[in-house]
Amino acid sequence: MSLLRRFGPTVLVPVFAVLVAMVISALVMAALQVDPFEVFRVMFDLGDKPSQQMTAVVVVLNRAVPLFLAGLAVAVAFRMGLFNIGVEGQYRLATIVAAAVGAAVVLPGPLHLLLIVVVAVVVGALWAGIVAVLKITRGVSEVISSIMLNFIALGIASFLLTGPFRGSAPGASIISTSEIPESGWMPSLNGVFDLLGLANPPRQLYGFLIVAVVVGIALAVLLDRTRFGFDLKASGLSPSAASASGVNARAMVLKTMLLSGAVAGLIGLPDLLGDKHSYTTDFTAGLGFLGIAVALLGRNNPIGIAFAALLFSFLDRALVPLQIQGLPASVITIIQGTIVLAVVIANEVARRIARRTAERGGAAVAGAATPGDGSTGTGQTAGDADAQGTGAGVSRTAGAGQADDHKGAGA
Amino acid sequence: MAATGATGASAPGAGAGTEGVPYAVELRGITKRFPGVVANKDIELRVRRGEVHAIVGENGAGKSTLMKTLYGMHRPDEGQILLDGREVRFRSPADAIEAGIGMVHQHFMLADNFTVLENIVLGSEPTRGGRLDRAEARRRILEISDRYALGLAPDVLVEDLGVGDRQRVEIAKVLYRGATTLILDEPTAVLVPQEVDELFGNLGELKREGLTVIFISHKLDEVRKVADAITVIRRGTTVGEADPRTTTSRQLAELMVGSELPSPETRASTVRDRAVLEVRDLTVLSAIGRPVVDEVSLTIREGEVVGIAGVEGNGQAELVDALMGLRTPAGGTLLLGDDDVTGWTTRARRDAGIGFIPEDRHRQGMLLDATLWENRILGHQNRPPAVKGPFIDRRGARTDTERIMREYDVRAPGPDTLAVALSGGNQQKLIVGREMSAGPRLLVAAHPTRGVDVGAQAVIWELLKDARAEGMGILLISADLDELIGLSDTLQVMLRGRLVATLDPAQVTPDELGGYMTGARVGGAA
Repeated sequence: MSLLRRFGPTVLVPVFAVLVAMVISALVMAALQVDPFEVFRVMFDLGDKPSQQMTAVVVVLNRAVPLFLAGLAVAVAFRMGLFNIGVEGQYRLATIVAAAVGAAVVLPGPLHLLLIVVVAVVVGALWAGIVAVLKITRGVSEVISSIMLNFIALGIASFLLTGPFRGSAPGASIISTSEIPESGWMPSLNGVFDLLGLANPPRQLYGFLIVAVVVGIALAVLLDRTRFGFDLKASGLSPSAASASGVNARAMVLKTMLLSGAVAGLIGLPDLLGDKHSYTTDFTAGLGFLGIAVALLGRNNPIGIAFAALLFSFLDRALVPLQIQGLPASVITIIQGTIVLAVVIANEVARRIARRTAERGGAAVAGAATPGDGSTGTGQTAGDADAQGTGAGVSRTAGAGQADDHKGAGA
Repeated sequence: MAATGATGASAPGAGAGTEGVPYAVELRGITKRFPGVVANKDIELRVRRGEVHAIVGENGAGKSTLMKTLYGMHRPDEGQILLDGREVRFRSPADAIEAGIGMVHQHFMLADNFTVLENIVLGSEPTRGGRLDRAEARRRILEISDRYALGLAPDVLVEDLGVGDRQRVEIAKVLYRGATTLILDEPTAVLVPQEVDELFGNLGELKREGLTVIFISHKLDEVRKVADAITVIRRGTTVGEADPRTTTSRQLAELMVGSELPSPETRASTVRDRAVLEVRDLTVLSAIGRPVVDEVSLTIREGEVVGIAGVEGNGQAELVDALMGLRTPAGGTLLLGDDDVTGWTTRARRDAGIGFIPEDRHRQGMLLDATLWENRILGHQNRPPAVKGPFIDRRGARTDTERIMREYDVRAPGPDTLAVALSGGNQQKLIVGREMSAGPRLLVAAHPTRGVDVGAQAVIWELLKDARAEGMGILLISADLDELIGLSDTLQVMLRGRLVATLDPAQVTPDELGGYMTGARVGGAA
C-alpha cells in the first residue's frame, strides 16, 4: 500500500498520459483515414516464429540503449535546471572523433575499446564544457549556446568526415571514416539467448547494453545518494538557497555540464562499436533531441528513463513493418509527439495539485497542537507529485484549539 | 480556554454604542473550509462605523483568510456578511469595492515607474474623449489628499518615494475608489516608529471623516495605541473582543496565544573576552560601484549578541552576504577566530563554524519542494549525521530531523513531509534547529523571527539566549526594535551603509533607536 502511495504518482501519471496520448493519436489517425487498430496491430505484432520475435526484441533493445543514454545526459543537466539541448552536437562530435581515433590505433581488445570510450567521453564533456564556461563567465543562457553549438558541432563533424578523417574511397556514395579494427568492436550479448534457452536471433544484441546499465546505476547512485547529487538537486530547486548553503554555483554548472556531456559522448557508441564500426554520413541522427523527450517522459529519473527509452524504441521498431503494410510510418512520430505533450501536461498538472495540497495541508499545521502520525509521510524527488498532502491535511483538521489529539487520531 | 472568558473584556453583544445604528461591518458565524482544513470557524466580528477596529492573532490564526472573505476573494462556506445591516454576497473583489470596501495590502502593489497620480487612477481612470483626464484626476486626488491630510504630490514617481509615502499612495488608491471601509493588512510591518506615528495620524483623519478602518496586526502595543476596539483570533476563530483602554499588551498576547508569554529580555551578560568575529573596514560595492556597506568595523565576542538596527535597505543585507561569502567585498578583512576568512568560500566558512539564519527563508534557507530531511542536510552537506563521506546518510538525516522536530517543536507529520507544507513558524524553527545543531561559533541571524507567530518567536528567543550563554557569538539583524533591544548586548545602528552609532540596549528606548535609524539623531555612544 505504502509502495503504491509512494510510487503512485511517479508511475501512474506517465502511464495515464501515455494512454491518453494513444487515444488522441488514434483519433488523429482516424481523421487521416488510417485505421488506428490496424496500426496498433502491426505495432504489437512481433512476428510468428520465436527467432522473429527475438529479433524484434533485439531491435527494440538496441535502439533503447542510445535513447537511454541520451535521456540520462539530458536528465543530469535538467536536475539542476540546466537545459542541455546540445546533446545532439555533443554525441555527434564525440562519435566521429572516437571513430577516427579508434581506427587509427591497434591495441589489444579491451584497451582498444576503453580508449574509444574515453575519447568519446572526453570530447562530449569538453564540447558541453564550452556551454558551461560561456554561462559562468559571460552569463550566456545554456539554451541558446547549446543550440548554436549543435550547428557548429554538426559543421565540424561534416568537415572532419569529408576532410581529415575520411576513410572511404573517393566517389563512394556514403562517405565514412576508416573502419575500426576488430579489436575495437564490442562483442555481442547473443550468448545470453542460448543461456536462457531462447531462440538465438540473427541480429546482434549490443554489448554496450551492459555499459548503459552500469552508467544508469552509477548515475542513479550519484544523483540520489551522494553529496554531489544533493548539491545538484539543491541548485536545481533553488539556486539562491543552494549558494547560501555553500554550493559554489559556478563550479556546479561546470561539473554538471561536464557530466552531462560525458554521458552524451556515449550515445553514439552502441551503434559505432556494436554495428557500424565507422562514422558515416548516414550515422544515426536525432538521438540528442529524442533524449529530451525521453528524459521528460522518464521524469529525470534513471529507472523512468529506462522505461521511456524502451517505449520510444518499441514505437520506432514499428516504422519498417508499418511501411511494409502500406501504412504511413509518420503515425509513429505523431504518437511520440503526443506522448511527450501529454506527459508534460500531466506532470505539470500533477505538480500543481501536489503543491496545492501540500500548502493546504500546511494551513492546518498552524492550528494543530499535535503532529500527525509519522506514517503518512512520503519521500518524493523534485517535482514529483505528492498526493500525500491531502492525507496529511485531513489528519490535522484541528478545530478551534480543542483536543487536537482526538481529532488528529480520528481523521 | 477558561482564560478567554476572564480576559475577554467587553461583552460583544452590548457593543452597539449608538443605539439602533447598524454595524458598518458585521460578520456572523463565518466558516471557511479548504479541503481538509478549517481556516475560519464561527467568526463573529462587529465593527462600528467610524472606528479603528483591530484584528489581532498569531500568524496562521486565520486573519488573512477572514479578510479575503470580507474582500470577496473567496466565498465563505457558512455565515453572513452584513454591511450597514444589509446582507451582502461578494463574488469577487470588484463586488467588495463596489460596496465600499478597500484593501491595502501588506506588500505594496504599485508600479515604480508611474507617477503617484497614474498609480492611483490605474484601473479606474477618469476619461475624456477616450483619453486619461489628468486634470480631473489631479483635482480628485488633491481633494482626497487635503481631506485626509495625506500630503500627496501627484506628479512624483513612485520609485522616488519612501515606504511611508508609498503606503499613503496605497491608501489614496483605495479612497479614490470610494471606499468607506478600509482593510489594512499588517500596515506597520514595513515602517519605522516615526512613520508608524504618521500613519496613525492619517488613520485618525480617516476616522474623523467617518470612515471605518479594519487594522490587522500582531504588534500589540501599536494596536492598543490606535484601535478603538480589538477582536482577537486564535486558531481560526474569534476568542473575544477587548477594550484597548483597559487591556494590557500582555493580556492581549495571552489571549492570542492562549498561554503565558516569555519576553525577549536576556539575563546577565555572558560576554567573554575572546573575539569570534572581527570585521575590519569592510566595504561592499553595489553593481554601479556605489558603496552599500561602507568601511564597517565591528567585533563579536564569545557569548555576545551584537544587534544591527537600521531601516531596511541600509546595507544590512549586503553586510550579511559579505559575511557569508555570498558577495565579494571590495575591501576589508574578516577574521573568524584567528583565521582570515576574507577569501573563503561560503562552504568553507560554514564548515569553519558560521551558522546562518537567512532573512528570506524561502529564498535562502529552504528547498520548499524538498522533504524536511533534505532540508536538514542543506547547508550541512559536509558533516554528520546527515552525511557519511561522499554519501548522503538518509537514515541519519531522517533520524536527526525527527530529533530536531522534537527538540525544537517543529510541527509536521514527519521528516518526509515537503517543506512547503509547513507554516512559516515551523519552517523557521526547523532552520534554527538545523543551524544550532551544528554547534556554530558564530551565528548570523537575519530577522530570525520575521513572519513567525508569537509562540514560535518565544521559542526562537529562548534558543538564541541559550546559545549565547554557551558562548556562541551572534550577529542579530532585525526590524523588530523590541527584539533588538531585548536580545542584544551591543547595538549598532546602520545608516546608508555605515555604522553610525553604538548604543547600550539597556539604556535606549525604541523611539530613540528609531531616531538614530532615520538619521534624525546622530552620533554617540549611549
